[in-house]
Amino acid sequence: MVGLSEGEKHFIRGGIAQDLRADGRTKLQFRPVTVETGVIPQANGSARVRLGATEVIASVKAELGKPTVLHPDKGKVSIYVDCSPTAAPIFEGRGSEDLSAELSVALQRCLLGGKSGAGAAIDLSSLIVLEGKACWDLYIDGLVVSSDGNLLDALAAAIKVALSDTGIPKVNVSLNAETDGEPEVDVSDEEFLQFDTSSVPVIVTLTKVGKHYIVDATSEEESQMSSAVSVSVNRRGQICGLTKRGGAGLDPTVIFDMISVAKHVSQRFISLLDSEIAAAEAVMDE
Amino acid sequence: MEYVNPLTGFRVDGRRPNEMRQLKGEVGVVSRADGSALFEMGNTRVIAAVYGPREVQNRSQQVNSKEALVRCEYRMAEFSTGDRRRKPKGDRRSTEISLVIRQTMEASILTHLMPHSQIDIFVQVLQADGGTRSACINAATLALADAGIPMRDIVTSCSAGYLCSSPLLDLNYIEDSAGGPDVTVGILAKMDKVTLLQMDAKLPMDTFETVMELAIEGCKAIATYIREILLENTKQLEYRRG
Amino acid sequence: MRDLHLPLNQTQRVRLEAALHELQSLAPAAASAASVTVADNIPVNQEDNILKGHGTSDHDGEVVATLCGVVERVNKLVYVRTLRARYKPEVGDIIVGRVIEIAPKRWRLEINFSQDAVLMLSSMNLPDGIQRRRTAVDELNMRSIFEENDVVCAEVRGFQHDGSLHLQARSQKYGKLQRGQLLTVPAYLVKRRKQHFHHLEQYDVDLILGCNGFVWVGQHVLVRENTESKEDKQKLSDEVDTFTPIETRKHICRLANAVRVLSALGFTLTIELIIQTAEASLSSNVEINDMLGAEFYVQTAEREARRRADLLRKKNGAR
Repeated sequence: MVGLSEGEKHFIRGGIAQDLRADGRTKLQFRPVTVETGVIPQANGSARVRLGATEVIASVKAELGKPTVLHPDKGKVSIYVDCSPTAAPIFEGRGSEDLSAELSVALQRCLLGGKSGAGAAIDLSSLIVLEGKACWDLYIDGLVVSSDGNLLDALAAAIKVALSDTGIPKVNVSLNAETDGEPEVDVSDEEFLQFDTSSVPVIVTLTKVGKHYIVDATSEEESQMSSAVSVSVNRRGQICGLTKRGGAGLDPTVIFDMISVAKHVSQRFISLLDSEIAAAEAVMDE
Repeated sequence: MEYVNPLTGFRVDGRRPNEMRQLKGEVGVVSRADGSALFEMGNTRVIAAVYGPREVQNRSQQVNSKEALVRCEYRMAEFSTGDRRRKPKGDRRSTEISLVIRQTMEASILTHLMPHSQIDIFVQVLQADGGTRSACINAATLALADAGIPMRDIVTSCSAGYLCSSPLLDLNYIEDSAGGPDVTVGILAKMDKVTLLQMDAKLPMDTFETVMELAIEGCKAIATYIREILLENTKQLEYRRG
Repeated sequence: MRDLHLPLNQTQRVRLEAALHELQSLAPAAASAASVTVADNIPVNQEDNILKGHGTSDHDGEVVATLCGVVERVNKLVYVRTLRARYKPEVGDIIVGRVIEIAPKRWRLEINFSQDAVLMLSSMNLPDGIQRRRTAVDELNMRSIFEENDVVCAEVRGFQHDGSLHLQARSQKYGKLQRGQLLTVPAYLVKRRKQHFHHLEQYDVDLILGCNGFVWVGQHVLVRENTESKEDKQKLSDEVDTFTPIETRKHICRLANAVRVLSALGFTLTIELIIQTAEASLSSNVEINDMLGAEFYVQTAEREARRRADLLRKKNGAR
């Protein structure tokens, strides 16, 4: 990212303090959001989300696998993010590794729940095919195509939309006594199960600049942050995950306030995404 | 497996042997880059972004300062192939393709017009269904033209193979994995010169010539399409400008 | 197209198409016919000794384009005028750049060119305003004039032997730019004119259209006799009291958004057009951030189509 001069930084800080940011937004406004589904036809589900100049693609692929010994009644989900060098020359080679790892971990924390699988956004037991023998492994991949700040929120939104676009093929299992209990799995080409994504949360990142917090920071605004709190909230207003980034320490009351602001903003964002998802589905049905 | 139906002559995806897949090209898909393009050949989908010419970032990489330094990186998205690969970047195939794309484009870029500078070409594969190398070169040509970088000629690339005793144009993944020969050709379209030629597997000489001729035909058709896109784009920019 | 990728509904899409179509019909047909792509033949009369200019090359005796653009013929010179490309500098251009590096006796600036530009210490006024020889102390104090990442306005003085640019910032109006925002637009949208500095008194805003595509929109700064940079620094850190007043800030944001919308649509940036667009948003009661939305985007395209149609009518009527 290009550095900013003291004068420009001062201008940005002033704008945030006066509730009028460089592009005219108030502190709690998102940039225009564009959502498209089915952008990767080879995947089971996919979506592209644009948040201003930030553009990310998420894809969901389902493959048959074996459940772990610890959780024989649950499927598996893995999330992996990559930042394409097309977004910025510094992402070439290994330049994007740190950022990609940070984003992947933050998304995993918000969407996958605890070690026991409790609280995961996706009901892992719905991925089971045959207990102890076969389950669906979901591979969720995110790709950052263009970067202008707020990658985490965009990726979480893209994953939510991609999951709503995902169809898991119906499976017919027959236990063949001759093959020593190994099931024969017949994957249907015709019938698909759609995911219920109503409990999938979104992430709202609040960036603290001076005494104020802003939502959906551009990369210039992010360069000014003292700290950022990313809160993952679902439609029922429950907090599903929390990440704090940035060196400056925060007073606990400030954190509580940021969480409540994030909850409030997230409801709007979730409604916006849901209407975009519905619109996309309507287009597909035509 | 019947790659060419003996009765109808159709291939696995319904094409004729000398028929190319559906092409789609678009410039300006990455707004922050100096030049960018999306190129699709059937289900193979690739984005190219060009940054430059700009100041050389790492002096040690510069061999000849009287010419622009051209760098290229090829990357495949995790979701681009049917089976997920754990390390899609930095592996040998990616390194080799990065080199191939760089050398092919370098042959066309008039590097002596931009001394003391570097041009970065980044190619990102979104979907791979055979012919990714060719799609990348075609996308890179569009992106370089979009960035206003002077070139001798339009570089295009296409692949062709030989299965079931017929030369087949523009192989998809299934046909590519059939074990038959795969000839990838890159040409300077107007000058009629070959800048890239790669082949694997065996072919008798005269069959090879037929397959190569077919690939060159494919390249020329792509060049015509690319030229249309660029011309239309130029006209649009001009009339909007006012 | 390189749009803002906005979600347009059906009616907006239709209106946009109609506006763009009208713009197309208003454009002189000659330009469209003279458009070329890479490796296209440029028709020339072989007998005249044609000078092959920028964007052309010789191939088998034919003149061939090496860039996408429009062919221009000036007397015996034939060249290709590019559209989207890096900045093509000319001596005397007023540009805006960002300091990348401080080197002995000079600053290196990034200016959207194939190489960074150089601003020599000797081409810059000293803080105390006295014309004297630069000493070693001055060299050590270069940071007090410009630091890394500072935004600077300067003029192109000439070319160095390796093709990079030499800049000068001797006049009072050049120098460091603070209290505002820097926008990047494609260089071809900024036409070379007599004036690039615009002090918009009605808004108390300075708008500088750099020929290299860097546009500065900021609070108006009084041109002082002594540039007291130390005082500046202190002022900036006093924060709340020194923030740009909200009214001025609103104007700055409106003008900046006007520049963003116009450059996304690909319209040439002139100060009149920028002001018109900002005024139109005010009179239509469009919120500042909605200027970057779909509706204003389409309205701006329609407005421009009408403006150009009117201009053409006046021109034809005047004959």
